[in-house]
Amino acid sequence: MRLTVLLKLAMRSVERNMRRSALTSLAMVLGLALLVFSRSLAEGAYDKMIDSGVRMGSGHIAIQAPEYLETGKLEHRLEAGVVRLASEVANDVLRESLLSWAPRLSVNGLASSTAAAVPVRIEGVDPELERAFSDIEDKLQDGRYLEAGDRLHAYIGTELAQRLDVQVGNRFVLTAQTSTGDVEGQLVRVAGIFQTGIPEVDQSLIHIPIDTAREWLHTPGATSTLAFLLNESELTDIGVKTLQLKLENEQQIRVLGWRESSPELAAAIRLDSTGNYIFHSILLAIITLAILNAVMISVLGRRREFGVLQAMGLTGVETGFYVFLEGLFLTVVSGVAGISAGLLFTWGFFRDGLDFSIFMEDGLEFGGQIMEPIIIPHFSVEQLLISTFVVVTIGMISSLYPALRASKLDVAEAMKFEQ
Amino acid sequence: MHGIRRSWTVRTLVTQLLNTSLLVLLSSPLQAQTAREIIDRVDRLLRGESSRGRITMAITTEHWSRSLDMEVWSLGVEHSLVRVQSPAREAGTATLKAGQEVWNYLPRVDRTIKVPPSLMMGSWMGSHFTNDDLVKESRIVDDYDFEISFEGEREGVEVWEFQLTPRPEAPVVWGRIDEQVRKADLMPTWIRYYDEDGGLVRTMTFSGYRTMGDRLVPASMLVIPADKPEEHTVLTYHELDFDISLDESFFSLRNLRARR
Amino acid sequence: MAHERLWWWRVAWRNLWRNRLRTLITASGLAFGYLGAVLVVGVSDGMLVELIENGTRLMLGEVQVHSEDYLPERNMHLTIGGYEGTDLEIFISRITSQEDVSAAAPRVYGGGLLSSGEETQAALLMGVDPDREPRVTTLLSRLVSGRTLVAGANEILVGDEMAERLGAVLGDEIVVVSPSSDGSLGNDLFTLVGILDTGIPAIDQNYALLALPDLQFLMAMGPARIHEVVITVGNAKDSPRIAGALGEFLSDSELPVQVSSWTDLRPELAEMVSLMDASHFIIVIVIFGMAAFGVANTMLIGTFERRREFAVIRALGTAPIGIGRTVVYEGVILGVISLIAGALITWPILVWWHNSPIDLTTVISGFSVAGAQWRPVLRVEYSVQAPIVAALGLFLTSILAAMYPAWKATRVPPADALAD
Repeated sequence: MRLTVLLKLAMRSVERNMRRSALTSLAMVLGLALLVFSRSLAEGAYDKMIDSGVRMGSGHIAIQAPEYLETGKLEHRLEAGVVRLASEVANDVLRESLLSWAPRLSVNGLASSTAAAVPVRIEGVDPELERAFSDIEDKLQDGRYLEAGDRLHAYIGTELAQRLDVQVGNRFVLTAQTSTGDVEGQLVRVAGIFQTGIPEVDQSLIHIPIDTAREWLHTPGATSTLAFLLNESELTDIGVKTLQLKLENEQQIRVLGWRESSPELAAAIRLDSTGNYIFHSILLAIITLAILNAVMISVLGRRREFGVLQAMGLTGVETGFYVFLEGLFLTVVSGVAGISAGLLFTWGFFRDGLDFSIFMEDGLEFGGQIMEPIIIPHFSVEQLLISTFVVVTIGMISSLYPALRASKLDVAEAMKFEQ
Repeated sequence: MHGIRRSWTVRTLVTQLLNTSLLVLLSSPLQAQTAREIIDRVDRLLRGESSRGRITMAITTEHWSRSLDMEVWSLGVEHSLVRVQSPAREAGTATLKAGQEVWNYLPRVDRTIKVPPSLMMGSWMGSHFTNDDLVKESRIVDDYDFEISFEGEREGVEVWEFQLTPRPEAPVVWGRIDEQVRKADLMPTWIRYYDEDGGLVRTMTFSGYRTMGDRLVPASMLVIPADKPEEHTVLTYHELDFDISLDESFFSLRNLRARR
Repeated sequence: MAHERLWWWRVAWRNLWRNRLRTLITASGLAFGYLGAVLVVGVSDGMLVELIENGTRLMLGEVQVHSEDYLPERNMHLTIGGYEGTDLEIFISRITSQEDVSAAAPRVYGGGLLSSGEETQAALLMGVDPDREPRVTTLLSRLVSGRTLVAGANEILVGDEMAERLGAVLGDEIVVVSPSSDGSLGNDLFTLVGILDTGIPAIDQNYALLALPDLQFLMAMGPARIHEVVITVGNAKDSPRIAGALGEFLSDSELPVQVSSWTDLRPELAEMVSLMDASHFIIVIVIFGMAAFGVANTMLIGTFERRREFAVIRALGTAPIGIGRTVVYEGVILGVISLIAGALITWPILVWWHNSPIDLTTVISGFSVAGAQWRPVLRVEYSVQAPIVAALGLFLTSILAAMYPAWKATRVPPADALAD
């Protein structure tokens, strides 16, 4: 087989019939570009969901006492010494992948004011670390979030503030069973009021400074959860495994990935990804069709050309191969063009994020949104390679049938045709 | 037994002394020390070392009104037993507090349930009194600073008026408490509870002063919430004895269930 | 003239048949493109409705009726119709008389304590009508053990987590204590006849279900007093409008009520649905676009490849407009055939899928999203708009896409085209 000849022929054929080639490859280019666009948005959406979810929850990785996840009780906490050890090891293991971390001491109690007594979930937090960690400060409606050096300050939700009939600056009393078993009160004042839009959170979550909580509950240096945020959520699994290995001798420590500590989030991601598989399968099917159609149609009108080629000495197989190479060449070029177009389009217009709110129905405005409707596209090399591979494969397979037909051509018959 | 009697004697002595010394002091400005005692006394007026009483509580709310007759025992602030005697369908219902634990006996179903402290609702038995008012262990004098805001005559009676403000980190919900106490017999006439913005939240009024169990006490207490003035609770003592022979063993689950 | 016009159609038809392969390829592109476009909207709507229904069918219902002042504090005294209440049968039948309403069930709420042995837990008491409730919600069917309630027998159902905390098993006696409407402390003994697992911690940890009359009795409330009527409607997405209409229908100065849709009661679910809808919208646009492009591309190439053919025809004397007409007619015939074929393949698939949704529970276990228990069932919803929009869009695309090159072809003198 005269490969180089065929190759040159193929390339020149593509060049000479620019319009036809362009139209044929357009299907592939556009298909690939759209695939890149929607995949990167979908990945971006997951990032967003995971990111929001782990910030409200216990981060990508959480270190807790073994029974804490199930009971949520103060008695299942990490004592000062264990906390120190765990945070040291974690900081060491996670290093550059660590975005931020936050300690939390949690207890269930009662919030009482002159007007009412309401059951609440109290979280003692480190204001500086917590504000870098979670986005609860963004939900601020009135007042301010906790700051370093705060003592008797509380950050409460709008619904709780309403029920207690308190505003920023007002006092109220927290009551809970401390580590000694006694029920004790702690005075706090409203530093700020937030609204997340989630009733359970707005009704019962309170943030107070962790040192205040420790003093009140007689648990010096203790925490209920050490939460860690990573740069990339994909690093969670390996982070958890490494930490578990390093801390395997510690009975009082349990290391959890976000899928375990926030099973609802994990499930929500899978829910969406199932739907997405369907959608992308449909998209791929349509792309395949478009490519197939384009290739088939363009080959139909070239019987005379093939006839001429064979009359000039090409064998049937070579003719077939020539068609195949043409297809291959087109596919490769389209592949590159498609990815570039997709990347450029997505990055160019949406690198700062696609604002969804334009698509969302009006009349659904309420204070406090769970997620900011801005999705930043996530480009994953793996995804890009897979998408390219798929489209290129489709392109090549589409060229096979025409190549086959071209190779089986009866020269004499073919010459009868004008085309 | 012996110890209790002794303290009873001491107590009476101290009370007598206090009363006499007060007569002397009536004409002289009130010492901070004595003011503190007065406020403390008011706070602990109905809580002695031990006490037993029969009370009627009449509650009127927006949606219902009812009246309960109860028998009450208490030992310090750690132990108390309240048993409902009327109305008949609720007779026998009782609440026992021993240390940090609270139990409820329900005669209708003949069952006892243990109530964890975190589940104790704000109001005591549906009234306008709170659990804080009746079973709180801390003392008002520990949590508040006081000053005398007025001394003189109000409606023909010589009184002191105290203004109590919470100490910086005291775990109390009130922003301010005002009390009026009669000079003659150190009896409180009213207590007003305010939130921090100076808004009146509720008023407690005392009346029906008489001697019960060797003490002068206001037999009647009325609480009115400021935001719903048509609602109120009246607590009236029909019998009250202090420093009776009572010890911890009385506050048992068996006694909780006793019908008498 | 009529004869002539018909003749052009026949030419178009014959053109199509002459190049069966090309026609087939183009038609299949159109037909499958149509299938894909309609399917994607169906699946997307299906996911949305599934999410809504999972959020509402468990306990919330799609529409709720309360006394005007009942929400948000849920003061137990504010029953529908005040202290006298309202005749339950009449009220419910008035509601169900509305066309959009599928079913309605009454409820009573109380807050109290459950005690079993040494353990006591705070609970939200919900009185339900054992006959009507299953028509509206699936709550009573989420039993993991035991059976549903029978009215008048002092029976109670709790969530599995509550049962665990109480250390209670089926058949155990539970003391239920609740403040009642006359200020006294209502209390009675109930038998645990069933344990629920809804998958929603907020329910499994805190709720206790009693028969409506039993709870009314415990709370010293007559049979005419209820707090809430839960309603399920035909089309969940239409709930806000239905709630509004029902509110108007029921408005009566004697019985001031407030009718709310699930979008008011659970704004976070509404937001999640809206987000999902929006993100699907993008995919739908992408897919529609790709389908349209595929069709356009095929037509373009097809027509370009026929340059010579057009040139010959022109050389033979046909006016340029004749070619244009041929192409358009071809496009129309092709479009109609393809879309009929498309509809023929799409319709059975949609119906089949709609009636036997794919249950992915074996692959993904159930879970809750924004408090909705989501059973992973992939289903498809019928949409009125999608098939029409898709059909029109693709139809127009194919005609326009064929016309352009045809028009261009007619501009080139036949000799030049033939020389190519």
